[in-house]
Amino acid sequence: MDQQLSYLGVPLTRPKVAFFDFTSCEGCQLQILNNEATLLDFLNLVEIVNFREGMSEKSDNYDIAFIEGSISRPDEIKRLEAIRHNAKIVVALGSCACFGGVNQLKNRFNDLNWVKKEVYGDFPIETIEVHPLEKYVQVDLKIYGCPIKKEEVEKIVTNLVVGKSITSPEYPVCMECKANENICLFELGEPCLGPVTRAGCDAWCTNNRRGCWGCRGPADVANVRQLEEIMHKYGFSNETMLDRLECFGGFASLTKEIKKTKKPAAKRKK
Amino acid sequence: MIFKVFPKKKLSLLYELLAVNTMVGPTLKGKDRNGKSLYDFDVLYTFDDLALDYTATIHSAKRFVLPYHEKLSSFDINKTDWKKHVDINVYKPLVFFGMHPCDINALNKLDMVLAGNVYPNPYYIGKRKNIFIVGLDCSPEPQCFCHSMGTDSALHGFDMFLTDLGDKYFVEVLSATAFDFLSQIKSKEPSKKDHQHYKQVNALKNKNFATNVETNDLTKILDLEFDAKAWDQWGDKCLSCGTCSNVCPTCYCYGVEENIDLDLKNANKIRSLHSCNLLDFAKVSGGHNFRPEKSTRLKYRYYHKHRGFVEAFEESLCVGCGRCGQACLADITPPEVIASVRGKE
Amino acid sequence: MKNKLDFIDIMHGSDGHHRKEDPNSFEYSYQAEITNVYSLTKTEKLYQIQIADPKLRTKFTFKPGQFVMLELPGIGEAPFSISSSPVRHGDIELCIRGAGNFTNFLSRVQRGTKVGLSGPFGTHFPVEKMHGQDLLLIAGGLGIAPLRSPLLSVLENRSRYGRVDIMYGAKNPDELLFTYQHEEWRRFDINLDITVDQADKQWQGRTGLITEILKERIQESTDLANNTFAIVCGPPIMFRFVCDMLTQAGLPMQKMFVSLERRMHCGRGKCCRCNIGSTYTCIDGPVFDYWSVMNLKEAI
Repeated sequence: MDQQLSYLGVPLTRPKVAFFDFTSCEGCQLQILNNEATLLDFLNLVEIVNFREGMSEKSDNYDIAFIEGSISRPDEIKRLEAIRHNAKIVVALGSCACFGGVNQLKNRFNDLNWVKKEVYGDFPIETIEVHPLEKYVQVDLKIYGCPIKKEEVEKIVTNLVVGKSITSPEYPVCMECKANENICLFELGEPCLGPVTRAGCDAWCTNNRRGCWGCRGPADVANVRQLEEIMHKYGFSNETMLDRLECFGGFASLTKEIKKTKKPAAKRKK
Repeated sequence: MIFKVFPKKKLSLLYELLAVNTMVGPTLKGKDRNGKSLYDFDVLYTFDDLALDYTATIHSAKRFVLPYHEKLSSFDINKTDWKKHVDINVYKPLVFFGMHPCDINALNKLDMVLAGNVYPNPYYIGKRKNIFIVGLDCSPEPQCFCHSMGTDSALHGFDMFLTDLGDKYFVEVLSATAFDFLSQIKSKEPSKKDHQHYKQVNALKNKNFATNVETNDLTKILDLEFDAKAWDQWGDKCLSCGTCSNVCPTCYCYGVEENIDLDLKNANKIRSLHSCNLLDFAKVSGGHNFRPEKSTRLKYRYYHKHRGFVEAFEESLCVGCGRCGQACLADITPPEVIASVRGKE
Repeated sequence: MKNKLDFIDIMHGSDGHHRKEDPNSFEYSYQAEITNVYSLTKTEKLYQIQIADPKLRTKFTFKPGQFVMLELPGIGEAPFSISSSPVRHGDIELCIRGAGNFTNFLSRVQRGTKVGLSGPFGTHFPVEKMHGQDLLLIAGGLGIAPLRSPLLSVLENRSRYGRVDIMYGAKNPDELLFTYQHEEWRRFDINLDITVDQADKQWQGRTGLITEILKERIQESTDLANNTFAIVCGPPIMFRFVCDMLTQAGLPMQKMFVSLERRMHCGRGKCCRCNIGSTYTCIDGPVFDYWSVMNLKEAI
């Protein structure tokens, strides 16, 4: 384990790695532990010094912090800032850390006190609007997905250690979905965010005939205007589309625009 | 060319003779939301899997010669030294049963780039040489414009080609292997009447095309209309998703990615189909992108197919199968794009 | 079984055209070794790369302006113009800036590391056609890398050419490449004019655009249209200005040559990433005369 890592004769440093979680289901971290077949190779590449879900030792001496979860309480902000201070590289792990994830759905209600009352009843806890890590600290790298894909994490970690740059596909899920010879879900009568969502998941959901919900956020070119037309053409309402676009929070800036232009129509309905 | 005829009921016999090999062909994949049958090419396990009355398949036949993803080579790494292993990933012959002329012509066009020219590509050639093709005639669908592209009939690139004459098949025989198989099912010489019937069937087919693309002087018009507003309008609609290139029978542009195994002892090199409509298609290291706009990328897809390829090979890289237009969620279809770019003449 | 189709094994002889060891074959690469690395600036290094097998080394010939694909397993494969003299066959020099994945990793490998080398690919500068004529060799920034090969070829055959001018521009003095060779080039009766965009305290040479040097040179010339060839390497914006200026001064477009840069994944006219309309930068280029470039809508 302690022998010097190298690739093509280039010596590599084995980074000290820590895993942390905030508001989340901790499923992304579980994905990493789920990797029995390759876990040993993974541990050979990095030295894990902090991983509550996987070990009892703890250290604040780490190079890379993988952080799962979104920020939904004031005390989380302080803890996040401390991690940022300790780490050289902060990696947002999964949709919650990248965009707020499913947790940010509560922001939709506009009245946090009402939400608190509904959820916690007479035992309220101090919560704030849910935001991604980026809102409070600088994030160096994002690993997308709900949950993350373990093969992708392994590739990213290998590239980090070797010193290759880390890139996510810039194109939408359709590219991967078609390459898997799927039938387009719109043709089968199901809505799908594949045309605007960042690929890299190998069309996990659509391979299983489930429409995409956009967990990886928008592709570098996300033609949401055109998606709106497609949804209408195939008989889906704006609500159906917005439900999906807002589910993981990745499309926040884009949905705001749609809502703005659609307001008069919504009023008429009422 | 040698012609034969055989009664329709002998088709299953021909299939069974060929079926000692791996069979692929059109098969029913399901129904769409309006109840319309959806077909695709896939491996066939019995004669009943074969759907010879198929309408255009969603994907083309290209994946059998040009897979979407393919490992080009793998490496064993030992410090500063390494070893490269090349496998062209073809191990057995394949029988393709029931390929329409557009798809046969698409393979012929791919041959021009990938098998001919300088640097023939063995990954492609290995698969192409090991595919036995039984062609099949078709009747035009609304989206078909193969007659505009001159690809409505296949002259070569197959082993035998079947035309449906009602109670029998009229066969064009292009290879000795095909001739052998036809002898085994006791096919006959076609009569004068069969010739007549064959000509009638083809004449009728030619009358049934609903979509037309004007290709006269198209190479020059594309240059003249390089800055046409129409490109921007189509660009606004484009999702930059690469669906068109994936379903296209002739799109072959690709990207190569190298990956290192988690143990740092092995690496591999993967070729993946790319699309000129994807954002990073012409991005170079350092970050400069030669085609940052959706409209320019879309335009270059048409430039490659209808201008560049014509200049290089005297024919277009489009076979008019209409699949890209059918699959495009934004309804971008070649006949409409070309008509709008041509403008008023 | 009778109806089993014959398997055609194209890599092992049942089809005569393909051999694994054929250099023209796909995925073939020479086994080569990095024999030396010199740091030229903060970001650029000069790599000496030698084909391991001595027989193949002498067989490997190229012409100035052609490029090779260099491969490091797991890291990638990338195209580079050869910067050394064609006399040296399979013992080449590549001047490479650490700008991306491949080049950054390359800058970390040590001497003796094995690399895959394929090529040479593409068109070249027709230096033989230029015999008896004056030469304008114009480079901006990293453009000196592809220009150095024709330059060295000219120096080796100096008597066959008339007046030779090198005009070389860089952002600042720190980014000038091959400074240790500049005096040596001058000894071959060559006018070497260097200019930088931003001078530092030590800089005693010229500052300003390369076109200013060119303007002076054009004024000195008597018969530019008939006795001169130009090779221009650099960013597209530079060669557009330079070539337009030369065109206006009467130099025919087919006597000006440029080298284009594009994204490439194969170097063999297959992946299409370098395709500009009908033209593949890898097999129709990278060296084009200015007339051909003018015909490519997107090239400049």
